Amino acid sequence: MMPTSAIQDLHELYDYLDAAIQLEHATLPPYLVALYSVHPGTNPDAVQILRVVAVEEMLHLTIAANVLNAVGGKPDLNAPGFVPAYPTHLPSGETDFEVGTGAFTPAALETFLKIERPGMSGRGARQLIAKARNRSGSFLGRHPRDSGWSYYSIGDFYNAIRDGLRTLEEEARKSGGTIFTGEPSRQVTSEYYYSGGGKLRAVTDLDSALAALELVIEQGEGEDHGIWSGDGELSHYYRFQQLQLGRYYEPGDMEPGRPTGAEIKIDWDAVYPVKPNIKLSDFPPKSELLGVAKAFNDAYRRFLDLLTQSYNGRPELLLEAVPFMFSFRNMVNELIRNPLPGGGNAAPTFEV
Amino acid sequence: MHLYMNIRRRNDLDALQQDETYDAVIVGSGPSGAILALELCQAGKRVLMLEAATETGKGFDGYQSLLTRFYSRVGKDNQSPFPVNPNALMPRGSELRKLASGETNSDSYIVQSGPYVSDTVYTRAFGGTSMHWEAKTPRMLREDFKTRTTFAQGLDWPLSYEDIEPDYRRVEREMGVAGEVEDHDGLDLSFPPGYVFPMHGLPLSYLDQQVGKGIDGSSVVLDGQTYPIKVRPYPQARNGVPNDKYDGGEGFTPQGAVASYQIDQGGRCQGNTNCVPLCPVQAKYHSGKTLAKAFATGRLDLLSQAVASKVSIDGATGLVSEIEVKVYHDPDHSAHRTIKVKAKIFILAANAIETPRLLLASGLKSSSGLVGRNLMDHAYLLNWALLPEVAGTFRGTSCTGGIVDLRAGSFRRNQAAFAVDIHNDGWGWATGSPFSDLQQLVDQRNMFGAELQKGLVDRLSRQLLLAFMIEVMPNESNRITVDPSYTDALGNMRPVLSMTIPDYTMRGAAYARQFARTIFSRLGAQDCTAYDPGDYGLVPYHGENYAIRGGNHLAGTHVMGTAKNNSVVDRDQRSWDHSNLYLVGGGSMPTIGTANVTPTLAALAYRSARAILRQLDGQTTAPSGLS
Repeated sequence: MMPTSAIQDLHELYDYLDAAIQLEHATLPPYLVALYSVHPGTNPDAVQILRVVAVEEMLHLTIAANVLNAVGGKPDLNAPGFVPAYPTHLPSGETDFEVGTGAFTPAALETFLKIERPGMSGRGARQLIAKARNRSGSFLGRHPRDSGWSYYSIGDFYNAIRDGLRTLEEEARKSGGTIFTGEPSRQVTSEYYYSGGGKLRAVTDLDSALAALELVIEQGEGEDHGIWSGDGELSHYYRFQQLQLGRYYEPGDMEPGRPTGAEIKIDWDAVYPVKPNIKLSDFPPKSELLGVAKAFNDAYRRFLDLLTQSYNGRPELLLEAVPFMFSFRNMVNELIRNPLPGGGNAAPTFEV
Repeated sequence: MHLYMNIRRRNDLDALQQDETYDAVIVGSGPSGAILALELCQAGKRVLMLEAATETGKGFDGYQSLLTRFYSRVGKDNQSPFPVNPNALMPRGSELRKLASGETNSDSYIVQSGPYVSDTVYTRAFGGTSMHWEAKTPRMLREDFKTRTTFAQGLDWPLSYEDIEPDYRRVEREMGVAGEVEDHDGLDLSFPPGYVFPMHGLPLSYLDQQVGKGIDGSSVVLDGQTYPIKVRPYPQARNGVPNDKYDGGEGFTPQGAVASYQIDQGGRCQGNTNCVPLCPVQAKYHSGKTLAKAFATGRLDLLSQAVASKVSIDGATGLVSEIEVKVYHDPDHSAHRTIKVKAKIFILAANAIETPRLLLASGLKSSSGLVGRNLMDHAYLLNWALLPEVAGTFRGTSCTGGIVDLRAGSFRRNQAAFAVDIHNDGWGWATGSPFSDLQQLVDQRNMFGAELQKGLVDRLSRQLLLAFMIEVMPNESNRITVDPSYTDALGNMRPVLSMTIPDYTMRGAAYARQFARTIFSRLGAQDCTAYDPGDYGLVPYHGENYAIRGGNHLAGTHVMGTAKNNSVVDRDQRSWDHSNLYLVGGGSMPTIGTANVTPTLAALAYRSARAILRQLDGQTTAPSGLS
């Protein structure tokens, strides 16, 4: 039986927001591996766009944590299974597709476009669709209470959360209460995390929660599926599309798929051939490279721990995450530049 | 919000020669020119900007190409991102050599004679020297504006700190200054009640903090006065965390990189250590950010690769009638076309060497004869030492903190004041670190592998460089001239620079050396300072040698004053002799105190913009004396 997409109680809302945090994080490894697979000094347009999108996914992650904190939840990025085993499934309309880690290739770009693909909410389409049978592995964007069903798109998943917030808050108000009982000091604001577009504001009530999630949807897929968001920012979908179409959108461009700005050239050969969805078991035993891969996973676990602490009352720790990310870059570069005996280059495995 | 750069370019030279619709022509695209362009365009005026160099740095691709060039250079001097352009040359440290007394070096763009050689530079590029400036933005102190009256040194300004204070705030908004008012505690300047900078101050580096631990709370005695000293952060035009209290609670939106398409970069400083010569993410202000807004008005046109070569005066009226411009197509070829451009107001914003160079090449010495004279630049004395423990040197922006407690005081009757920068890039400026260290460890100590790695860390991360920025007072014999024997590829006369470091400054330098030794000893650091007798900037003083570096803080050469006989421009930077000519920039400054000149010259640009608008709107006719 198809489950309802209406969130029933606060605990279900927590489940949804936990899933949102997991979902936002899950896009980072694919974007980061693709970003660092590009030969240094080449493909500046692709590098810039991948970097910006990754930075904004971190913003979305933080926004989801803020909303969860605002309603009294506790973000946990070290929960078992938080980092999916790649490849993992994401919903995209009637079908789902696999997202994995690997080199920056035309196929990877196609996948990134699917990740950010505009949703169908409000167009009469079903929000929930039955998950294809025989899928193994993890699945993001599924119904948190019924793994047999998933959302049509990431935007639809967020809209279900927005509806749930409205309903639950309305109910709470009837009895003179509120669901926004979280400690305000647990909110992460823009002094602790910065991204190019979109301001990180404290979530303290229904309006600020809805506005924060709207920003997430708009940055991903655009306002009303248009090219630009309300404050003139290009959505992720159209940022990636520029790489596919070989041209930048310019202010004034309104027609999707017809950018008129500067030309973009991509040198697909200037990319390290990273082994897709690499695992520690792909590394030669006892090799120096395996040591680096393990060291990366240890560092990544500490990074997730630092984020968890930041989202649990110590926002100032986010500032320490910055040098952490520089050290990631060094380790990732070390891995990605080295070929493996079985073919393909090494990469971080994100097995934490 | 995103800052789009869409240049309006004039390529139609024939039509341009006939065009009499411009309200103003501005020579130079640095901070002064950019602020004037924006202010005039926003007030509805039409402006033509001439830039001698190419437009390379204007867009994101061009900016990145400068960065790539910098990364690929072996010698990473402060002009290394900018290709040599024989049609619009700029001074480069690499061209200098030691000169005997009276010996002349005309191989360098600026012609100099020994014994003292200045290594001052400026950048001729789209964006001017704001492309490579370090972006420290201290204001001048109240007493800096009246050193003649207070200390019997230098010149008084025809303006007070109070006159200029509101314009400093405009600069802090336009450039996006990160700082804290509290960090100015005890300095001779003031802010309006409740004022905060647009962005919170950038944090002190770990190195700054280690120095602070050693010296904060101590004091020095000078001229009978006790001066407590401590390490404080510098305000900087570098994007940080916006201060929500700014602008009565409106907050502030930092301006990042400019491009013709959407680019999300540079909204925050990332702590790269190459602010000079080029911020890799455009978190540092450059005048392109101001120009992007000016172009967006649709009233600013740019003519690049256009070297202003002559300012022509109408003999009957004394007004500037036109500016002659040499427009070239290819930086590597001298082929060019000479055209003339007209406007109601002419603004020279080409910096304190190029502006007097152009005036003198046009035969315009001014009634006072002061064009080109009173050339000032801060004299830098470098002191370097090895700290007893690893202090994280080479992390953070070029400079985040320093000691500014000796910027003011009664001692200025006898000796120059100074501000001390703590350099996060180690001994780079003094010895060429880290490259020189690598070479030494490999070539002289045969280190390699892990040992070399360890050796480098041990050596580099303990480096401490204190750069003393020492004030230089105006002196008419320090000057820029021109000489028809020295020309560039287009036949324009090059600047000839004559400079000696005054004793007043050298007394400050000698004290600075002593002060550095005191600091080093309080920190338990090993003083490694040694001035090479072959240094081109060597200045002997009282039996000791000091290597004096230039500060690229050029000023004084079209000095501002109260009357036609004591100055070149009035308090609005308007020429006393030619009432439709404004000479803007550091050249108007009668003193430079111990503040990097850009915030002050930018503040003056706002003042001039108001005067020009009054003049264009027919509200004034004569230059303004003391009010």
